Amino acid sequence: MNQSNPKPIDDFPSTRSARKVGWFGRHTLAVTLIAIMVWLSALVTGMALILRVSNSPGSAGATPLRWPAQTQIPLDATRPTLVMFAHPHCPCTRATLGELELLMARCRDRLSAHVIFIRPAGTAEDWIQTDLWRKASAIPGVSVHADNADVEARNFHAQTSGHTALYEPNGRLLFQGGITISRGHSGDNPGRSALVALLEHKLSNQIKTPIFGCSLSEVEVQQAVSECKP
Amino acid sequence: MQTVVTDTTIPAAGLEQRIETLFQASQDNIHRRGDRLFARLMIFQWLAGIAAAWWISPRTWIGITSQIHWHIWAAIFLGGAITSLPVFLAWKQPGRALTRHIIAVAQMIFSALLIHLTGGRIETHFHVFGSLAFIAFYRDWRVLLTATVVVAADHFARGVFWPQSVFGILTASPWRWLEHAGWVIFEDTFLLISIRQSLGEMFEVATRRAKLEAVNVEIENQVAERTAALTVAHKELLETSRQAGMAEVATGILHNVGNVLNSVNVASSCVADSLRKSKAVNLSKVVALLREHERDLGDFFTNDPKGRQLPGYLAQLAEHLAGEQSRTLEELAALQKNIEHIKDIVTLQQSSAKTSSMTESVNVADLVDDALRMNSSELARHDIEVTKEFENVPPVTVEKHKVLQILVNLVRNAKHACDDSGRLDKRLTLRVTNGNQHLRIAVADNGIGIPSENLAHIFNYGFTTRKDGHGFGLHTGMVAAKQMGGSLTVQSDGAGQGAAFTLELPCPARENSHE
Repeated sequence: MNQSNPKPIDDFPSTRSARKVGWFGRHTLAVTLIAIMVWLSALVTGMALILRVSNSPGSAGATPLRWPAQTQIPLDATRPTLVMFAHPHCPCTRATLGELELLMARCRDRLSAHVIFIRPAGTAEDWIQTDLWRKASAIPGVSVHADNADVEARNFHAQTSGHTALYEPNGRLLFQGGITISRGHSGDNPGRSALVALLEHKLSNQIKTPIFGCSLSEVEVQQAVSECKP
Repeated sequence: MQTVVTDTTIPAAGLEQRIETLFQASQDNIHRRGDRLFARLMIFQWLAGIAAAWWISPRTWIGITSQIHWHIWAAIFLGGAITSLPVFLAWKQPGRALTRHIIAVAQMIFSALLIHLTGGRIETHFHVFGSLAFIAFYRDWRVLLTATVVVAADHFARGVFWPQSVFGILTASPWRWLEHAGWVIFEDTFLLISIRQSLGEMFEVATRRAKLEAVNVEIENQVAERTAALTVAHKELLETSRQAGMAEVATGILHNVGNVLNSVNVASSCVADSLRKSKAVNLSKVVALLREHERDLGDFFTNDPKGRQLPGYLAQLAEHLAGEQSRTLEELAALQKNIEHIKDIVTLQQSSAKTSSMTESVNVADLVDDALRMNSSELARHDIEVTKEFENVPPVTVEKHKVLQILVNLVRNAKHACDDSGRLDKRLTLRVTNGNQHLRIAVADNGIGIPSENLAHIFNYGFTTRKDGHGFGLHTGMVAAKQMGGSLTVQSDGAGQGAAFTLELPCPARENSHE
């Protein structure tokens, strides 16, 4: 057997020891930690701002407690009537329509639903023909209306896109508010849950939830200092 | 096999250390590769987030007026902030534990941002689970733990400050967070098992490689030893071959000297015999007869019958002695010539005995003539007709004694080949031709030839077909030719067809050779 000294088996340079001293290596651990803390703080702050804005509701307005007499929208005499006001370009309203679609899938026969898209004065006819209009039109059991010069929005005191109201056949207000959990956020939310409960007669008291969406007009913004932006 | 080597040559501690080193190196490679992968992924998902925000919510509206949606600014600036540190660390500090933990934190926060930007789409939540799987690429359970903690902390913070934003506790689903956590833990469980298995396999690979390296080290040591021994043996063999070659040359030379000495012996015997049988002794009888008649020499020459015959006898004797002197001088001249021949042979022997590798410029024709001269007696005795066909070639710079040694061997072999053939018209032809950058010396005979099966072995060390041969000459000649940058080759059409050996020597280019 060979009696000579074998080659050292650890002659490969260790990748750890061979690693060059990097940017952080020349600085103290404190600098590293400070950099990480600053970064984390920036991220936490940013995420908190996002959450805060996302969860800031728009102006709800005072929804009439009784079905407005001057409205052109028909009140169903046999079942509750739902009206939803929407801005045709509001990205947050896509989530609202998604929630309405879920509600209709579950309670279609229990209500009469109307989505009213505002069409402010001076806008072209095609201003209203957006993907939101098409999405609302595609929901079974939903009637879609154009609200020329925001007449109906004013009848129901709607100021924020996504404003939803549910009236009994006798014209009494059952629900007012939004049906998303935050701005443009899909998913289970108090508004949709309340509507389901009311339509299934599990609740009878009047319910109000926050509305998340773009402002329907500048006038309401000026009045209510409500906005759909951070 | 591995066990034997490991147990006998590599200390267990050294092997374990090597395994650990290899294992860590492998982990480091995976970590660095993961860092590079995530750096690219994070830049891509940052850009994808901006694109998604631009696609889903480009503008925010107030009536008929609009402006850029805050989602876009969030995607650009917050997404950029999330991406910045991990990408920087992956670039500057790849492979460090801190880097991959920061990457894990950033990846989970980016998942939250993407979920926001896409309006809480269920599909975007898959980013969380996909990211966990990517993070598992690091094969570091601690990083997976960090990512999980970030998800938990995010849900906790939302639960505290905006409870409805995560769990929907206002919707009679107070335990929804448990479902979320359950799915994350479900994936973590499988990923942790996978990480554990991967690490085990990596350790196995490191162990196998370390053992293989140990075996390789052992083999390399043995090869080094064997190589050293072979080098020594090769040197010894070369020296033996050289000495054997020299001995063969010396034997040939002594043989020639012996032949010449026979001639010397014959010549000296002839001289001695001539002197022994010389008629000069009769001259003393004439002198004694003259002294006996010194007082009457006239009468003796006139009246004595002997005296009258004496002048005629003296004339015959003088003529005879003159003949004897002439023959003796001839013999002595031959003797002197033979002695000069011996002197030449000895001079050549002294020249060829030089062992230094000193090169000198020599005339090839002279070398061939020297080789012929050293074998001249043998060639003459066996009636071998020698033909010389020499082109005009330039001098070559070679080790003279080596070339001479090769040529003497080739001429001697040719002589033997001619002898053994038994034919009467024995011919030896020596050609000197000038090739391109090579000079060729061909020694061709019409002897017994070489069977094709022997051609391949003719230059092998120890190969010979002669009873008194050693098998050194051609091998040594071939080696010497190679050492000089030339070659020694053979051509034969088979048994009885003669053979031609060609020695090629490097020489200046043709255009120079004519200058």
